[in-house]
Amino acid sequence: MGVSIAASAFFPGSPAPAPVAPKNALGERPDSLDVRGVAAKPGSSSGTLRAGKTRAHAAVPKMNGGKSTVADGEHETVPSSVPRTFYNQLPDWSMLLAAITTIFLAAEKQWTLLDWKPKRPDMLSETFGFGRIIHDGFMFRQNFSIRSYEIGADRTASIETLMNHLQETALNHVKTAGLLGDGFGSTPEMSKRDLFWVVSQMQAIVERYPCWGDTVEVDTWVGAHGKNGMRRDWHLRDSMTGHTILKATSKWVMMNKLTRKLARIPDEVRTEIEPYFFERTAIVDEDNRKLPKFPEDQSATAAKYMRTGLTPRWADLDINQHVNNVKYIGWILESAPISILENHELASIVLDYKRECGRDSVLQSHTTVHTDCSSESGETTLHCEHLLSLESGPTIVKARTMWRPKGTKAQETVASSSL
Amino acid sequence: MLRCHTPPQCGRAPLRGRREPRAASATVVRCSRGAPQVSGLEAASGHAAASLEAEVGGQRPSLAERLRLGSLLEDGLSYKESFIVRCYEVGINKTATVETIANLLQEVGCNHAQSVGFSTDGFATTTTMRKLGLIWVTNRMHIEIYKYPAWGDVVEIETWCQEDGRIGTRRDWILKDLANDEVIGRATSKWVMMNQNTRRLQRVSDEVRDEVFVHCPKTPRLAFPEENNGSLKKIPILSDPAQYSRLGLVPRRADLDMNQHVNNVTYIGWVLESIPQDIIDTHELQTITLDYRRECQHDDIVDSLTYIEEGEEKSTNGSAFAAPHKEEQQQFLHCLRFAGTRDEINRGRTVWRKLAR
Repeated sequence: MGVSIAASAFFPGSPAPAPVAPKNALGERPDSLDVRGVAAKPGSSSGTLRAGKTRAHAAVPKMNGGKSTVADGEHETVPSSVPRTFYNQLPDWSMLLAAITTIFLAAEKQWTLLDWKPKRPDMLSETFGFGRIIHDGFMFRQNFSIRSYEIGADRTASIETLMNHLQETALNHVKTAGLLGDGFGSTPEMSKRDLFWVVSQMQAIVERYPCWGDTVEVDTWVGAHGKNGMRRDWHLRDSMTGHTILKATSKWVMMNKLTRKLARIPDEVRTEIEPYFFERTAIVDEDNRKLPKFPEDQSATAAKYMRTGLTPRWADLDINQHVNNVKYIGWILESAPISILENHELASIVLDYKRECGRDSVLQSHTTVHTDCSSESGETTLHCEHLLSLESGPTIVKARTMWRPKGTKAQETVASSSL
Repeated sequence: MLRCHTPPQCGRAPLRGRREPRAASATVVRCSRGAPQVSGLEAASGHAAASLEAEVGGQRPSLAERLRLGSLLEDGLSYKESFIVRCYEVGINKTATVETIANLLQEVGCNHAQSVGFSTDGFATTTTMRKLGLIWVTNRMHIEIYKYPAWGDVVEIETWCQEDGRIGTRRDWILKDLANDEVIGRATSKWVMMNQNTRRLQRVSDEVRDEVFVHCPKTPRLAFPEENNGSLKKIPILSDPAQYSRLGLVPRRADLDMNQHVNNVTYIGWVLESIPQDIIDTHELQTITLDYRRECQHDDIVDSLTYIEEGEEKSTNGSAFAAPHKEEQQQFLHCLRFAGTRDEINRGRTVWRKLAR
């Protein structure tokens, strides 16, 4: 069926031999990324096939006679049952992209009959995990489906799952913008100089947790942080309802791989990244009250917990054999008492990353729980402080978390429509 | 696929079976396809069976759902789904870890179960099974990977299940690289039915058989059709001393399922923990076979032991898909056991091929 041909064609197929799209993606507005430009990045963005806007760029003339019948709208384009899979028939990728574009045009009218937001014809491609640059080149958007093994004990996506998706979107953004150098943490100019980005802080506010099978839409963008740092923000929404799931912001500093010392951002790197800087923040002023605070009263209601002997497994390590940042969150929560996890959900977290650790590290996790009855609705929220350190002493991560009772209606964020 | 359209309800639904979608919500969108069936995959041992069934949705599924990357094949006897490998699923070799592969196998098994209307509590039990208090328990898992996918690659997995003897069911998978249709891996698993209260194994009665195997291939279809393939090899009892070990492994919160038992994939990670570093640096896991014996919980401490397996069949086991004979291979036997009592949790075998660096 028409739409499923379109769907299956979004797989990268064999890497297209088309020329690489120009690097300065600032000028690459969504509607100017043509079909071939997208094809040049196998495995990454499926491009910006907004129906209607790519009309001028669709490589329609490339289609053979067989495909052009689709453009005539003779094929049924509305899937009326479970879509067939054409996985065994993988024709030329660029031809299929052209076919898809025309299918989109033909089917656009019919989409309004479906349970489908007409503003988002591109969701087809996004279901397949590719994202795209939006908002005049400043933001990157990607959709994820929550898989069964990503949910936690209470059947919702764990905070680690959400953080993993932030990481994946960030990398896909960098890759789509043509700024992925060697390894996952450097632009090409940085790789040349043995520099890489290191996260120094992460703040996240979770309004609701998605469930198995939900589709999550992630928007991410970068900005400046001080004179010598970078900030990356994310906004996660439920793809279907538009409700905010999570807002996060992170701060990054540049480090030299060899000396392990902080470094200034070289001009060449500024040239690469500054065109993308976007001064919006995910966490705005009125959100600040949702972030965990430093407890003023250290005494009465503080309970301390500890878990020792935590060791990284092979699967925790990235390609540099350092522990992936997201794993720290799991370890931090290891020492939170199970009673908190059973009755509360994590509402916000601030992490300060101090040091990295590797395969042979042995860690201990400390949690201090402060009970705080001061929320407006009278429900008990909990503030916790966490410390993750090597057993030999040095601190790896410090964190503060805030927890609300499960079932509390989080403050609704007005769902903003697609940009 | 049941969907959760009203997230505020997520917090209020009572804790029940593992990975149970929010069927408490009225907005159910997936239609079931006839008699509930058993995928045999989702139930780890020892769960209390919840009772939610897939409801026939009166609502049309959203486009996103209908375009889910997975679907039953035309004959309805197997299920295919595609997955993109994400950056955090990639390990030190820049390719997907074997745990990622195992997670995906589990995911596609789950989704198969959903698509044919199995119970959606995560345990994939039939009505009769729940009446009789029966659950599926993994017995053996055997995974062979010929080519690991990298970040951004799309893996297509086909899965199906069928009878296996009088008390068992098996689930098979074939993994392909979607880009070139190349088979990159195969897997098979054996499940037995157990009474969750008595913990005794139970024969598949005709009643259950009819419910369970309606949507399974009638003629045997095996991911490993060749004779004497690795999935059939016995794993002997191992006695000390082990050549390599890693002691004192503890489950993390994320390793636990709803009933506080360690999930199957975690054991794979533990088995790998006692592989020596020089093997990890120079070789890649080709095959892993695990026999599950006991279950493990949050406060348990586990020792992982590795023994070199000498002699027999160092070369490929005759499989048409296996690595070429000329590649060097290393073979190990494994034991996971409780640190205190030394009771066996799992027995395993791994085969490693040399990385072409």
